[in-house]
Amino acid sequence: MADALISFTDLTKVYDVGGELVHALAGVSLDIAEGEYIAFMGPSGSGKSTLMNMLGCLDSPTGGSYRLKGREIARLSDDDLAAIRNKEIGFVFQTFNLLARSDALHNVELPLIYAGIPPKERKARAEEALRQVGLVDRMRHKPNELSGGQRQRVAIARALVNQPSIILADEPTGNLDTKTGNEILASFEAINERGKTVVVVTHEEDVAAHAKRVVRLRDGVIESDVRQAGRRVEPLALTSGS
Amino acid sequence: MQFRESARIALSALRANKLRSFLTLLGTIVGVTGVITLISLIQGANKYVSEKLVSQGANVFWVDKFGLILDNDKFIEALKRKDLDLADAEAVAGSARLAAGVRAKKDRQADVRFGSERVRRVPIQGMWGDYVAVDRIDLQEGRHLTSSDIARRRAVCVLGFEVWENLFKGQNALGREVRIGPNTFDVVGVAEKKGSFLGQSQDNFVIIPLGASDKIWGRRGSVEIGVLAKDATTFELAQDEARAILRARRHVAPGKDDDFGITTSEMFMDLYRNLTGAIFIVFVGVAGISLVVGGIVIMNIMMVSVTERTREIGIRKALGAKKSDILMQFLVESATLSLTGGAIGVVLGSSLALLVAAVSPMPAEVSILAIFLGLFMSTSIGLIFGIYPAMRAARLDPIEALRRE
Repeated sequence: MADALISFTDLTKVYDVGGELVHALAGVSLDIAEGEYIAFMGPSGSGKSTLMNMLGCLDSPTGGSYRLKGREIARLSDDDLAAIRNKEIGFVFQTFNLLARSDALHNVELPLIYAGIPPKERKARAEEALRQVGLVDRMRHKPNELSGGQRQRVAIARALVNQPSIILADEPTGNLDTKTGNEILASFEAINERGKTVVVVTHEEDVAAHAKRVVRLRDGVIESDVRQAGRRVEPLALTSGS
Repeated sequence: MQFRESARIALSALRANKLRSFLTLLGTIVGVTGVITLISLIQGANKYVSEKLVSQGANVFWVDKFGLILDNDKFIEALKRKDLDLADAEAVAGSARLAAGVRAKKDRQADVRFGSERVRRVPIQGMWGDYVAVDRIDLQEGRHLTSSDIARRRAVCVLGFEVWENLFKGQNALGREVRIGPNTFDVVGVAEKKGSFLGQSQDNFVIIPLGASDKIWGRRGSVEIGVLAKDATTFELAQDEARAILRARRHVAPGKDDDFGITTSEMFMDLYRNLTGAIFIVFVGVAGISLVVGGIVIMNIMMVSVTERTREIGIRKALGAKKSDILMQFLVESATLSLTGGAIGVVLGSSLALLVAAVSPMPAEVSILAIFLGLFMSTSIGLIFGIYPAMRAARLDPIEALRRE
């Protein structure tokens, strides 16, 4: 696929753990097109975390090639990777990873700060992102004054605020109850419907069921790659407060 | 990342740990307080001394047997020198064309009495020549010694303010007789109050003609010749001129050292500066040690801060923070921390110096330079000792950092 957003070719990652070489990724080739909603699944040790770090440009592969928007990024420096993360990747973590001392607005502003956006525009864009997740009235609240679902929505606003190519979610519902989790999944659905590529890493079949493509990993290689309809979450859940 | 964002993070981190921040800053605060206090006191003293010395002896130099000798061996050597006598002073007065005024003075000491009042051990200055111009003595009443008083060795005197106050208790003294030792002198004038200099009264003296002094105590002893140069531009030349006259008179062979000494207020000033400079260096050294200790404490606390906030660093890196962004954040934080300490130190130091000035005779002057120096030093300490922790933060692997709880 020439116009793939992400293109892995024979990607490998080898860790040296106390003299013993561990092949976390043993040759993964995969293309992800723009606008896909894809879930990576696999038991622990399958290499899905490594693949996610790779995909999120947090780590560099030992071998193989990773092209993002046609650009080879497997051998870039740490700072170049940071710039790509800032511009292309929106992270959503299991534990939210918000800055505890900062309010919601400032948390959402962070990627824009590192993108060098001037304060006025930064604030306007962060507010808009919070409006999209229905939390604009809570923007002056700190994370500990927000519920789990609200925190994750702040994190989603933060992931979206710099208009990245990919939303990369690592067990995004892992710390949430089913109802709240569904709301978050509905958010991803809505984001995907607007044409954004969404990548979810999970071990929960329920979560993966919402994706339109499921890639299963085992022992550092792709075990299966299945396209599916993708289960829908009721649209109402998106705006209901929690 | 913008500097403002870094400063904002730094200040919120400071606020979040008030007590810890304060304890961290103690070393820096003490160091800067010390430096500011000391600089303020020394500068105050410098200003005071230079003002006093200038008011006392602008364009005036003094020639006496010893000059400014700080070395014991040289002093013993100088004791063998021939006394300067009135004839020497007369020679300078007669031949020095660059001198606007010349006087000779011989100090003795005696009790001074009026009626039942007595002042003990008053310096009695036997004067010859133009002492009014050289010593700048102003009168509050009466007249100075005239040249005929001096030539005829009349038993007349001018009282210093303090002597007059103690003897006459504010009463008129003109025309009254005081007893200096066993001798009786007519009071012709009373000097204006000059105040004290470095805690020593400048109003405790009696001026009498040099000849009258010699009549009482004999001619032995060396005179001090005071010369007022015509102006500042010929000040050095006037000294050379006087030196040449005296060397000729006293038969000092060419190539040999002077057998007398010339001092100027500038020389006293230099001596004083050297002295305070030495004190200053010692104290700055001590303050420097506390600043270094303060810096180490800051480094330590920044290491703790980096460890505590590993996850935050991971988050920031995941969101696109470059190494330089993280480095900057922690450097600004340590600099802000130490600058805060410096600012507290500046306030404390200035207050302390002004307090000392208020309750003691020591003068103080808080200068802008000292304040900037204090702030600059503390900020530098923060930057220098913040580099290592900040580099550790910047080098953290984002994956590792995010995994940390």
